[in-house]
Amino acid sequence: MDQIAYFLTVFAASVGGLVWGILGGSMPGLSPSIAMALLLPFTYALPPVAAIVMLATCYIGAEYGGSIPAILIRTPGTNAAAATVLDGYEMNRQGRASEALGISLWSGVVGSLFGLAMLVLLTEPLAQIALAFRYMTYFGLGLLGLSVIVSLSGKSLLKGAAAAVIGLMIATIGSDPISGVSRFTFGSPDLLEGVAPLLIMMGIFALTELMTRSGTPGIIMAPGASIRVRLPKLAMMKKIARAQGIGCAIGTFEGLTPGAGGSVAAFLTYNEARRWSKEPEKFGKGSEEGVAAPETANNVVASTALIPLLSFGIPGSNSAAVLLGGLLIHGLLPGPRLFEEDAEIVTGLYLGSFIATIVQIVIGTIILPVCIWLVNRPRPYLAAFIYALVVSGVYTVHLSIVDVGIVMGAGLLGYFMRYFGFPMLPLVLGVVLGGLIEANYRRSLLLSGGDYAIFLEDPIAIGFFILAILVVMGSLVSEWRKRIKERKEST
Amino acid sequence: MNRKDLVAAAILLVIAGAYFLVAQRIPSSTLDDGVGPRGFPLVLTVALVALAAAIAVRATVTVPAPRGADENKETEARWPRALGLLVLGALYIPAAIVLGYPLALFLLLVAVALYEGKRFSWRMAAVASGGAAFFYVLFEVVLSVRQPEGLLF
Repeated sequence: MDQIAYFLTVFAASVGGLVWGILGGSMPGLSPSIAMALLLPFTYALPPVAAIVMLATCYIGAEYGGSIPAILIRTPGTNAAAATVLDGYEMNRQGRASEALGISLWSGVVGSLFGLAMLVLLTEPLAQIALAFRYMTYFGLGLLGLSVIVSLSGKSLLKGAAAAVIGLMIATIGSDPISGVSRFTFGSPDLLEGVAPLLIMMGIFALTELMTRSGTPGIIMAPGASIRVRLPKLAMMKKIARAQGIGCAIGTFEGLTPGAGGSVAAFLTYNEARRWSKEPEKFGKGSEEGVAAPETANNVVASTALIPLLSFGIPGSNSAAVLLGGLLIHGLLPGPRLFEEDAEIVTGLYLGSFIATIVQIVIGTIILPVCIWLVNRPRPYLAAFIYALVVSGVYTVHLSIVDVGIVMGAGLLGYFMRYFGFPMLPLVLGVVLGGLIEANYRRSLLLSGGDYAIFLEDPIAIGFFILAILVVMGSLVSEWRKRIKERKEST
Repeated sequence: MNRKDLVAAAILLVIAGAYFLVAQRIPSSTLDDGVGPRGFPLVLTVALVALAAAIAVRATVTVPAPRGADENKETEARWPRALGLLVLGALYIPAAIVLGYPLALFLLLVAVALYEGKRFSWRMAAVASGGAAFFYVLFEVVLSVRQPEGLLF
């Protein structure tokens, strides 16, 4: 592709993804992963580089968008923006909403730039490690990824594990990876290729959310007419730099940890920023650092969460799982080969994220009235249009109406999982990793002639197994302690 | 006793049982390896049964969380209402097959808006018509991605 055309493609995709992300993130109930999932249908017809850039920059935009209702109406647009409510809304009450929005935007830019630097520095070296991976290693990696998500993504380890097993069961639908025999297809040719993870994600993220919020009152955002984004001046930038530094450090660590995500990073950073602040008494009462810290952290996570995905193909969050869905749709497999065979995609991703981060300063400022207008649309119309987007979008995956039915089934499953308190992410990861785990488990045994000792011949695989056991044991102990504490408190 | 978790465990057992029964009908192949196409599903069945049993045991010895412990529950729809919304989506499937994409989408937009509490008006019809036309142009014309063709239109 001609370099100018390549740049223009990446530029347009990054701006488009950013705008979609800010608008989606500003609507309470639409998490970054849902905003990304709703964007996916539009990316089918695009070149792969544009599609991936759009999805990644949508994630960046959604993190800023989430802070807008958090500051203006005390309702976080995304989970990660929940910590921003604490001081952002207080600043709004003190008539400093413009300042809070400016600090949020500036901190998002700082966090995104730092996260992008980490993404560029760490991803390729980690991916090179994956070159040494064998079937057993990939099996171990799949188990480790699943164990970490199961352990961290819910209150109950048992429910997380059950969700993961159901995800693995869904992944067995289709042709057997070794013999090609059809399994659980009920004679339908539409199921021979298996259930695309994207359909499950659309069902359990977007449709379940619509179902859960059905009939609930809409949210009215009616701030004063003079609300606009006011970027911080140099003195303020210096004042919040320490909080941003803490956000960068914690955001990097949490982004690399599967299952942790932006909300954990935001709250951890908020607490640490208060601990290290010169004015800790101001936290909760309209502290600028209280806005800067979580906003920096969740924007760092938006980039660093992509590191395990691009290096090893293990998505650590819902949003990363949707991005993986986007990669798979365009025939791209994460890992070291992505850097060798599809380098333009990786370069485009880095370039697009950089462009989006810089452009965010301008777009984030001028798009605010549009966000307020969008959130104030009547909820019935919003729900109807999102529903229409879901059914239209999923049809484009295989041009099959069966896919719409699968999404309905996934929505039903997601609703009941939520009703009974089962976490969603283990199920998604089970669907995504099921093929990898089963195929590599069986190929390892084929290689050894059925001898299970082969799993102990690979040192990296052994490391993954031990880590997986430690993670699960740690989670069990933590859950057990929590229950004992709760029992003591109740008595 | 936590009844909700007990019901969840029972549903998991039903899922495991149904999955196992269908897995038994997976045909054998001359290309089968030692594990075979039924091996992994069997492992998953056993795992789900074990997890369901563990959840059931825990449910019998634990006390459910007090009402109001989860603030989000107050802003969430009750299950009959939530399932009603799903039914509208399910009805879109035969509607799209018979009536075609634009008309089925128009009906879906109207049905969901009505279901979510908006009263029918010409304005609603206009919004739904505009929405259906917008999505049709977006997918079929701009993105060149086909949408369902109906038997009638």
